[in-house]
Parts: sequence; structure tokens; C-alpha cells
Amino acid sequence: MDPGETGVWMERILRVNMADRTARFEPVPSSYQNRAGRWLTSSIVHDEVPATCHPLGPNSKIVFSPGIVTGTPAPTSSRISVGGKSPLTGGIKEANAGTGWGRRLARLGIRAVVVEGQPNDGQFWLLKVDAKGATFESAAAWTGKKLSHVVPAIVERFGGKDRVDVCSIGVAGEQRMGAAGICFTDREGRPTRYAGRGGLGAVLGSKGLKAIVVNDSGAADVPIADKALFDVGRKKLAAALGEHAITKPKGALNTYGTAVLVNILNEAGGLPTRNFREGRFEGATRIAGEAIFAGNKERLGRELYNHPCSPGCIIACSNTWHRPDGSEHTSCIEYESDWAFGADCGISNLDQIAELNLLCNEYGLDTIEIGGTLAVAAEGGLWTFGDGRRAIELVHEIGKATPLGRILGNGAVITGRVLGVVRVPHVKGQSMPAYEPRAVKGIGMTYAVSTMGADHTSGYTIAPEILGVSGKLDPLDAKKTELARNFQYATGFIDTTGHCLFIAFAILDIGSGFEGVVEECSGVLGTKWTMNDVARIGKEVLDLELDFNRKAGFTAVDDRLPEFMSREPLPPHNTVWDVADGEIDKVFAKT
Amino acid sequence: MLHVHLYGKLRRFAADTDPRSESIVDVAYCPGDTVGSVVARLGIAVEELGTNLFVDGRYADLSSPVEDEARLGLFPDDMQLLYKWYFRPKGLSPKGLGPKGLSPKAADR
Repeated sequence: MDPGETGVWMERILRVNMADRTARFEPVPSSYQNRAGRWLTSSIVHDEVPATCHPLGPNSKIVFSPGIVTGTPAPTSSRISVGGKSPLTGGIKEANAGTGWGRRLARLGIRAVVVEGQPNDGQFWLLKVDAKGATFESAAAWTGKKLSHVVPAIVERFGGKDRVDVCSIGVAGEQRMGAAGICFTDREGRPTRYAGRGGLGAVLGSKGLKAIVVNDSGAADVPIADKALFDVGRKKLAAALGEHAITKPKGALNTYGTAVLVNILNEAGGLPTRNFREGRFEGATRIAGEAIFAGNKERLGRELYNHPCSPGCIIACSNTWHRPDGSEHTSCIEYESDWAFGADCGISNLDQIAELNLLCNEYGLDTIEIGGTLAVAAEGGLWTFGDGRRAIELVHEIGKATPLGRILGNGAVITGRVLGVVRVPHVKGQSMPAYEPRAVKGIGMTYAVSTMGADHTSGYTIAPEILGVSGKLDPLDAKKTELARNFQYATGFIDTTGHCLFIAFAILDIGSGFEGVVEECSGVLGTKWTMNDVARIGKEVLDLELDFNRKAGFTAVDDRLPEFMSREPLPPHNTVWDVADGEIDKVFAKT
Repeated sequence: MLHVHLYGKLRRFAADTDPRSESIVDVAYCPGDTVGSVVARLGIAVEELGTNLFVDGRYADLSSPVEDEARLGLFPDDMQLLYKWYFRPKGLSPKGLGPKGLSPKAADR
């Protein structure tokens, strides 16, 4: 169908059935009016995916949706939301990434892509989406290879990086491994940006869909219902991002990247080290964001500030690491990846960490899950903490899909079970990110109740005072349940707008920035949303996800941290996880 | 003796300013010391500090008391990525954690 054939720009859903390889456009149902991003992906997964289905079976689906303001001039808003049923957790999963891919979808008027059905011929296919419609071709030539050998060639073949972005899976997704992520192109057409968590790459692999290429040539700009209001909001947000010390040009994120957190968590005694045995890593300063900046400066002979991962981002926190000869080694070493291969594996060599990061990008793997898995494997005697060369060999095993590689590629829980390891840091089957819950109890609460399994992003942000919640909340007192809940609601809203979660650093300190986000959304949609709608929409997103998980069989006992954390004191604070189960259960008790 | 670990632009107050190593200043302990008094002795302007201040790994602010042999961790204002509400000291009101996050009378310890 030609989106221009009616002469009227209208939003549609692209429904792709991989059983018979058909692609058709549908109008967006009125019940989904104003929904986009995580609100829409979670809605469609909730409404269309049987909660008890096998995540890799024919009844499972995977859904993509750009955010409300994605594709507009709103700053730092090129996030694509990906939803499905996670093969790691068995529950609902939303992962999002910064890329031009979703922006191009939005410009084509495609509010969501729903991939369903399953081929029975074991073949992989490439889907091309442009202003003329959606067509398939064989992906046989693109499978079984490193993504850097494949994605740039696909970009060139279909029009070049100025016209095309690519969503793809690597070998891990083709082999339906639970740690497989979904890779998107960055501004240079490199396969570096991931909707990494929860194994959604395996779901796409189970559909036989290797890649989705989007070319938005000839597309119109995303319509904006109230341009004046949108511009007011956009400028407020841009001002907040440009002013705040974390998000401004040459601020913390632009200079040091997210890995600036390594030293901070280490100082706080909350940097999980050697499979969550300790809260401080002796090699922290050698792998932190400051070390990355200094190392690049030494090797390049100049200061290198970070770059935007996606079009329109004014925070620009995506880094690159360079080899001793000045050539680029990998992009991007995020805090979580740096920690996962660094402190959690006891590795303090940035070149080895960069290689592990690169290999995950090459094979299509979630760096958090793989770092956590390697740490569990070291615990199980498969290798020795700190032996970076051996860690690299093990990730190659995953890329070769050897029997050992398949075990590791299915994540920390499977690996722990195979090796008889008790200390497996995870919640609901997804390995734990880079904040120690015994030292940072607020994030432990988020890990426990998140609909996504252990996930730092699901409740990472937001000042309670901005949400109009009681101003006396303390994450360590009895009211922390309310805080944990509202953090998650606010995150659900931000993931719906299409903005990067990192705007929160600025907008929770500069209230006009948050108002600006709401005004941008109202400007695009023609609504009259206020701050009250932030909590309403966030609650709706979470309620959909909680309902899916309930139908999938989750109960309160799934909202628990691993037993060892209640038993083993974590140095240097020597504290255990001591939040009562009843407190955890209160978080979503009234929803 | 107090052991002050400095990060980012604050490393210039230490002898070793290499960002890949530990920039530590040892400061003589004075009875009654607080984070603020130690910061003042080092000559660091409070405007350069953010909310990510730690005493023995615990979230602190300028009014937090320090004891002999304590480890202080000080991050500048452009590095305060860890949210204050994860670590808010008991009784500290959000108002005291405004944009500057440095209300010396806010702590309730």
C-alpha cells in the first residue's frame, strides 16, 4: 500500500506475518489513540500475545514503535521501543534504543510494526520498508556473519546512511539465544545501538527475520497539531538539557559518557565486583569514564568528546574507544557494559573490555547479560576472574554457537544452573545490572518489582516532588514503596514519549524542562496533557505490563532478589538485602 | 588522618592528577570535622561540588560529620549522576536537595 495513495497523511500499523511472508498496513485502532513508544508496544503485546505462549513459538509476537515525539525536532527523542515476551523472564519485555531507525518509521507514518507468525522452512528474511510499502527478500547472504560485515553493506545496498537505518539480529539472535539483543544502526550506519535486554533478539530470530531496513526517502515531516505549543515545549527542554551540568555540551555525559558512574558507584561501595561478591573494585579508576577520556586523548593526541547515538540528540553521550594506533576499536562502552566486563569480571584492562564490547556488537548480544554470565561462569570455575583473554575466547564460543557458547549465550541463570552456581544475581531470570542492591536499596526495590526482571532503567529517574508526590519520601524509610512505584510510572511515561531516559538528569532538577516534555507531546498530539497525565499514562503502561505478567503466571514470590543477597554481607558496608517482602509487595498492591 | 578521594576537576587538589589513578589527599583530622570543614581546608569552593559526596561510602552532605581515618569521596557538580534520592539521609527534606543539593542545615542526624 502506498501511504500517499489517499493523499492524506495518516498513521498506520505495519503488520508482518512471517508464516506466509505478507506485510499489510492497517489503520491505528481508536483504542490506541495517542499511544506510542512503550505505551503502544506494551498495549499490543498485552492485547495480542497470549501470556502463556512460548516466547519463541508461533503465537509470540514482537512489536516496534517510535515514541510520541520521535521524528519531530524535539531534542534527544529518537528512541525506538521494542516489546515482546522475554525468553529470559517469560514475562513482558520492553527494551528501547537510540537510533535513526524509529525516526524514519515515524516519518513514514508507521506508528508500529507488529511481527507475528513463524516460518517453518528455517530461512531468514530481510524486510524492506519505504514510502512504497514493505517487501521481503532472502537474507541468506547476510546470516552467520559478524554484524560489522553485514549491516554497513545492507545500509549501502539500500540507499546509504543518509536515507537508511537498519534493525537486525546477529548470530545470537539467529540461534535464538536468550541473551540476544536487537541491534540498530547509529548515525554512521554502524551496528552499535541496542535494544539489548531480555532476549528480544531471539524472538526476532524465531520469526526468521534477520533485518528490517527502513528508507524514508520522500516521506513528509511528522505532523504537529499545535506547532506553537510544541515549540514552547521543545525550547524549554532544550534549554534545560543545555544548561544542566550533566547533560550540557562538555558536561559529564558528553565528556566521560555514562561510564562516569564507575567511580561514583565504586566510591559508594555499590559497584558489584567479581559476581557481586564485593562492592568496590580495585581497578575502578582504570576503567572509568575518566580513564576512557584520558586514554583516547593519549592515543589520539587530542581531546575526544562523545557523539550523539541518534539524530537530534543534544546530550551526545555515546563514546568510542581507540586502539594504541589511534584506530577505532568499539562504540559504545556504556557504564553497564564497562562494569559488566570490567568490575563484575574482575578485568581492569580497557582494551580487553573494549574487545568484549565489540564482540557483543558483532554477535548481537546484550552486554549486561553476557558480562553477568561470564561472572557466573568464573564463579563456576570455567575461567578465572580477571583473565580477559579467556573471557574473549568464551564470547567467541557464543559467536560460533558451540555447545558451550549456546549455554553462555542463554544467560546467567542457565549458565549458573549448568555449572551448579548458587550465587546468580538476577531477578525473574534476567541478570542484574551495575548497581548493588545491598548498597543502593532504592534500586534493589526497582529490580524486585520491575515488570522486566532486574532492570535499572525501569525506575531510574524522577523527582518525587515533580510528580507532586509527598515531599518527604526517603527510599530507606517505610514510604519507599510509593517512591519505587512513582519512579516506574514516570519512566513508563518517558519511554512513551520517545525521549532518552537521560533527559531525566536535567528535567528533574529543572522543572520547566519537564513541563516542556509534556507540552511537546500535547503539541504533537493536539491534547491538553498536564503533569497529572504523566502519572496517569505511566500507571496505565505499568498496569498493562503487570496484567500480562499475572496472566503469564507471575506472583509475589517472583518479586524477590536472590537469596544469597539476604545472607551474604557485601563489603565494604557489610550490609545484606533486608527490605521486608511485605514492603516489596506493597509497591503495586493497589494497582 | 582523613583520606580524601577526588574525582574529575577536583583532582587538581591532589598531587596525582592522573584520571586513571587514585587522586587522594591526606588531611589531618580535627575534632568536630564535617565534610564542609574538610572541603574548606582543602580550599575547594563549595560551588564546585555536586550532591555525590561520600563519607566511608555513605551518601553525605557538607554538614555530615567525619571521624578520624574516614574515607571521603568528592565528585564535582558536573559528575553527580547518582540520584540523591537513592541515598537521602534520614529526615532530609527534598527542599534541602534542590538544584544545588547543598543545604548545610538539611541533614538530620
